[in-house]
Amino acid sequence: MASHATETPLGGTILTPGFKLLLGLCATWVALVLVRLVWGLHGPAGQDPLLAISNQSDGYPWGIWKPLNVVTFTGIAAGAYAVGLLTYGFNRGEYHGLIRSAVLAGAIGYTLGGTSITVDLGRYWNLWVIFVPQWLNWNSVLLEIALCVLAYNLVLWIEVSPSILERLERSGSPAAAARARAILPRLRKAMPFVISLAIVLPTMHQSSLGGLFMVAVTKTHPFWHTGFLPFLFLVTCVTMGFGAVVALENLTALAWGKRIDQPLLARMSIVPAWLLAAALVVRVGDILWRFRDPAVLARYRLMGHQAFYGSFLLLELGLFAAAAALLFRRSVRENRGKLLGAAFLLILSGSVYRFDTYLVAYQPAAGWRYFPTPLEILFSVSLAAIGITVYVLFVKLFPILSGVEATDAHGTATGAQSAAGH
Amino acid sequence: MEITRRNLLKTAAVAGAVAAVADVAEAREGRRAAPDEVGMLYDSTLCVGCRACQTACKVANGLPPDARDASGGEYDAPLDLNATTKNIIKLATDGPASTYMKMQCMHCVDPACVSVCMAGALHKVAGGIVAYNPRTCVGCRYCQIGCPFNVPKFEWSKSLPVVEDPKIVKCELCRHRQEGPACCEVCPRGAVIYGKRTALLAEARRRIAAQPGKYFEDRAYGEVDGGGTSVLYLSPAGVSFQALGLPTLPREPLPQLSETVQHTTYKWGLAPIALYAAVTAVQLRNRKADGAAKEEE
Repeated sequence: MASHATETPLGGTILTPGFKLLLGLCATWVALVLVRLVWGLHGPAGQDPLLAISNQSDGYPWGIWKPLNVVTFTGIAAGAYAVGLLTYGFNRGEYHGLIRSAVLAGAIGYTLGGTSITVDLGRYWNLWVIFVPQWLNWNSVLLEIALCVLAYNLVLWIEVSPSILERLERSGSPAAAARARAILPRLRKAMPFVISLAIVLPTMHQSSLGGLFMVAVTKTHPFWHTGFLPFLFLVTCVTMGFGAVVALENLTALAWGKRIDQPLLARMSIVPAWLLAAALVVRVGDILWRFRDPAVLARYRLMGHQAFYGSFLLLELGLFAAAAALLFRRSVRENRGKLLGAAFLLILSGSVYRFDTYLVAYQPAAGWRYFPTPLEILFSVSLAAIGITVYVLFVKLFPILSGVEATDAHGTATGAQSAAGH
Repeated sequence: MEITRRNLLKTAAVAGAVAAVADVAEAREGRRAAPDEVGMLYDSTLCVGCRACQTACKVANGLPPDARDASGGEYDAPLDLNATTKNIIKLATDGPASTYMKMQCMHCVDPACVSVCMAGALHKVAGGIVAYNPRTCVGCRYCQIGCPFNVPKFEWSKSLPVVEDPKIVKCELCRHRQEGPACCEVCPRGAVIYGKRTALLAEARRRIAAQPGKYFEDRAYGEVDGGGTSVLYLSPAGVSFQALGLPTLPREPLPQLSETVQHTTYKWGLAPIALYAAVTAVQLRNRKADGAAKEEE
């Protein structure tokens, strides 16, 4: 816990031009949500289909919002899980400096995912029913995800709370400072029990995100439909999480001059290399094994578009192999630029695999087509902008980042401008 | 480096143990139809495509006409099942041959939609009917992903609670009518008949036996497909079930794999509890060690 003392709020001007641009995107998202709430998921009747708020249909009822806003965003947000596993599960205390930034990104990513899924619900006002025990259907993979993600959201913000309390401790208001001083020691004492939840809950729901598609036996292309879906989703959330942590370290370095402990990142980055290698073996072995079954082969032929599905599979395998091959090289891991490139590859490979499972591999029946509308994409982009906005706000106000120096308003203003661009 | 490798080996060992547990797991038993369950038998060779059943369905269920696409706004002419159409007659072609096809909810014996529904909005009621209760539906649309027949439809054009109250729309076998499904009542050719599933199966077998070679594969679709459905289909020999739009399903119910994996992993909640205990124990031990050798790292 002593190492927490090194984290400092950045301070400085908040309303930089870049930040104002982000706020504009946040307002856009709010406007889109209002349209959705008033006129529904397709928007006002009789308008140009190109202007529809989403192109979701009875054939593709989840569109891009679930695979992108939930499955990809929380994959990136799993940096908190990945570093948490390393730091607490395997007792690698040296990674402590990465934790706060990763946990904040995690809390934000999961909150956005949860918000997106709630806005997307056709009957969101009924969401309370998932808290009525006697009504619940424990066969539903989605129920497990819903409850688990809600709980994890709570856990993540509890993990973020010490940063807020530490700031209050030093605040001008003596009452607030006294309150914070009273809560903090108790919170620190309870933290191991909270942190364990932060390991267990993502293990559960990240695997279940893959498990969701096990029931769609005939609608998920056999390259992707397997009993290993939970395993592969769990592995990709960890690899994406490691990628996100490395990327975040570099972005905060570019933006605010955060000092990077490259040897530390280099040591850590061997883990996703091994995980991707394992995932590759499982993925290829599983396909070879399953395709001996004539029923699976028949389904493969029936679904057709063999070049289309084949190229997406090859793209995935290629990305997995490339990311792993790069990260196995010490020279790549120890070079800041190269490692950053590999980290982006980690995020990309996991995202593509997850996106494929939810959209590319999914074929309800002949004749159904889906492509997102411009506003549907804007919804996701502006949602991501909210995440960046909250992150920037938090690192300026609260002690989140280590290896940075707090500066006065003038000193930070220039740095923050370039920050918003990333 | 040493330590990382050892940790990875440990992780591999844990993964292996999990796989071993999964290996000994028993597959979930498929649900079987009770003798009193009801359904429909549709004999495509008898249907003349008059669509009387379509109209009767709309009347019985208070559904508005769908005059958007096919008829230029004049007639109720839906192209497929949709939020205002729970039952539809379509033309199915298979090479040179063609026949009519009636589509509505199949009322699966062991339905995927019921397995995936979070709070039982879709559930089985007496007679094996798959019923919908909007009061516990959150509108997640996982039923649409799960259903292999793409039957549940969502009211996309509605949004506001109470005023518009968007729902999932699908055939509930006219469970609100004493007389049974309206579509079966009005069929002038007896192409679709209502009854106990066991009786309908016997009737299908009787028709097949009476004229061997008349029907596709000499069997009724739905007897075993996907664990069985309560709506059974007979197709003329030249037209495959696939051409009718009925997917080729395994004999096991579709929820088999997901429920087996889910309930094996979470049996008694043991795995999550064990993981929680292990991670907490590691942390508490390390915290004590940290206290003893303070600031050593």
